[in-house]
Amino acid sequence: MSDLFTVDPLLTETATDLFASTCDFDEVQASEAAGWSEAVWAPVNEAGFTRIGLPESAGGSGGTLTDAAEVLRVAGAHAAPIPLAETMMLGGWLAVVAELPLPDGPVTVVPGTTNDTLVATRSANGLKVNGSAHRVPWAARSDQIAALVPDTDANELFVVMVKPEDVAITPSTNLAGEPRETIEIDVELDGGFAVVDSSVADQLRLRGALSRTMLMAGALEAMSALTLGYTAERSQFGRPIGRFQAVQQHLVWGAQDAAITKMTAQVASVHAADDVLAARFEIAAARQIANESAATATRWAHQAHGAMGMTQEYALHHLSRRLWAWRHEYSTPGEWAAVVGEHAVSVGADGLYPLVAS
Amino acid sequence: MKFEPTQLTSSELELQAEVRDFLATELPPGTYERALGMGAGKDVEFSKKLAARGWVGMALPTQYGGHDRTAVDRFIVVEELLSHGAPIGHHWVADRQTGSIINRFGTEAQRERFLPPICRAELAFSIGMSEPDSGSDLASVSTRATKTDGGWLLNGTKVWTSGAHENDWFVVLCRSAPLEDGNKHQGLSQLLVDLSSPGLEINGIPFLDGSPGFNEVVMTDVFVPDELVLGELGMGWAQNTSELAYERGGPDRWLSTFGIIEEFLRINEGTPLGARAHEMLGSTVARYWGLRNMSLTVARMIDRGEAPAVESSLVKEMGTRFEQDVLQKVLELVELEPSPDSAQLFERLVASAILTGPSFTIRGGTTEILRSVVSKGLGRRGVA
Repeated sequence: MSDLFTVDPLLTETATDLFASTCDFDEVQASEAAGWSEAVWAPVNEAGFTRIGLPESAGGSGGTLTDAAEVLRVAGAHAAPIPLAETMMLGGWLAVVAELPLPDGPVTVVPGTTNDTLVATRSANGLKVNGSAHRVPWAARSDQIAALVPDTDANELFVVMVKPEDVAITPSTNLAGEPRETIEIDVELDGGFAVVDSSVADQLRLRGALSRTMLMAGALEAMSALTLGYTAERSQFGRPIGRFQAVQQHLVWGAQDAAITKMTAQVASVHAADDVLAARFEIAAARQIANESAATATRWAHQAHGAMGMTQEYALHHLSRRLWAWRHEYSTPGEWAAVVGEHAVSVGADGLYPLVAS
Repeated sequence: MKFEPTQLTSSELELQAEVRDFLATELPPGTYERALGMGAGKDVEFSKKLAARGWVGMALPTQYGGHDRTAVDRFIVVEELLSHGAPIGHHWVADRQTGSIINRFGTEAQRERFLPPICRAELAFSIGMSEPDSGSDLASVSTRATKTDGGWLLNGTKVWTSGAHENDWFVVLCRSAPLEDGNKHQGLSQLLVDLSSPGLEINGIPFLDGSPGFNEVVMTDVFVPDELVLGELGMGWAQNTSELAYERGGPDRWLSTFGIIEEFLRINEGTPLGARAHEMLGSTVARYWGLRNMSLTVARMIDRGEAPAVESSLVKEMGTRFEQDVLQKVLELVELEPSPDSAQLFERLVASAILTGPSFTIRGGTTEILRSVVSKGLGRRGVA
């Protein structure tokens, strides 16, 4: 079989209908001030779309990681202002891996930044967890916060599920106005934690990188379409500005950024479904491309939109600001390029083309 | 526009393994002067060995000496050859485009006459499109074919005709009927012209790097018999446009500077590379992998009977700029004063890429023309 991407087209279609009908301009705009969108979350959750890729036996909706990634891509195209990646692919997944109950509502996750200080200590009654964690999406609005926490000697790695009411939360947002909060934890748990394999940290990082790659792929495609539509309608000097060669350059480069990101994101999501760790090259390469594309495509789209794109009254900012934010999540400068580069060095000169053609 | 991820089937992977084995035997590193992709030189014996394996004209019908293989099969062979910098110059143009247009538009007699020797790598073709006053605006060609007894008399000058001095034939785009109502696309024809014809003069034009492969071809009353009008008289524009589609979107449009990266790895094997080098390699290799996925999809679309003209132009515009970017990234990383006669292959490749790099985004349709093709296509069909 030559078809690599075998996600049921009906899934993409259904997700597109769902997000298109819920994430209209006003709702996405309003969610920023409100810090939450029940109008998006409720129907998406009701449809089971917040549990895709998690086994039905654990309370998920079933399906593969590739299915979940495709739904995320569609969500990104509609700037869906909900913790979908966290619930479906990251925090919810941690709960499942740790064989802890999957909460009913939104599950967020501690993404893990270099400034985080969370540590765990086994105690007579269970587990003491304390320290701080940053950039936690929608922490205050989640049912539970999933975190990967090492013990003080770093011999064991725990998945810990805590409730937002049990931690101190300092509000903060990303560039798109999505909640990314700081949490302070000082609790002693008698349940809601479990030891997991040390590779789970690595898996979480790769899943996080993949989640943003998918969201960015969707946003880039939507941004390209938006720009194409705008330049076909907007006339200056007596003709649509999209007819000017200088503007066509922005359109074509934006379409290329969108096309290569979508293609590589989907390929990576297929490989990741089998084994996230074995898909390290594909995820890193796709993520690197997504990061580069986000940087360039936002320039082309804004340039083509002129002053129209500079306002919050027009939809471009819902996409461009998210791209600017997402490219820094689960990605430090040079991180994913270095992964691909080290991979290239490890296969050597004679292995390089086989790697490119893998 | 759509790029659906695809992968090689098991029989395609077998072909890939065969080609890799063949190249490992025929062209071990260090035994040949590695070239920059399709800018490779001519090695008739090598081309004939490939032909003997069935890898020249492979997508052409078996009845004319071809092998009825798919565009993806050809893609697999071509990507391995280009990534090795193999000497493909002799058969390259005929294999990529001339064979296909003769098969598609040619008469039965033309197919029987030209395709078998193309598939045996015996006939080498050049492209007779550009003229001194007609580059991107090809429909403005002024080379004229005038009717005479039993054929046509060709008058005019073609330029930038790669390989004309050593190839056998070229396909000439010319005006065979006077311009009417200003419609430039009417009255054009393609003629198959023997490069050794009387009245045909080939003058070398030194290329940027000093190499002789570029030519001016002056035709003065060159007689071309009726049976060598390719396809239909007056349909030259449509045929030529279709020919250009074969020229675009393949691995030749993003692999030209691949050898530089591979040789960079080779000369640094066993030496620890710093973070900057890893990041340069990572960014570059990620994009090779991405472009290769897109380019393979274009071949798959051709095999499904689709016409991915927009997709292939998009890949070419992107891939050829990338070929130049790769060079720049390496130059920013490695300390060297580029020299064409360096003792080190890596440095020779870098020198050659600097000198020939400007051609990457011009040959086969300039970047500016491609943007126009893509943006019109996007306007018609949308992004998704």
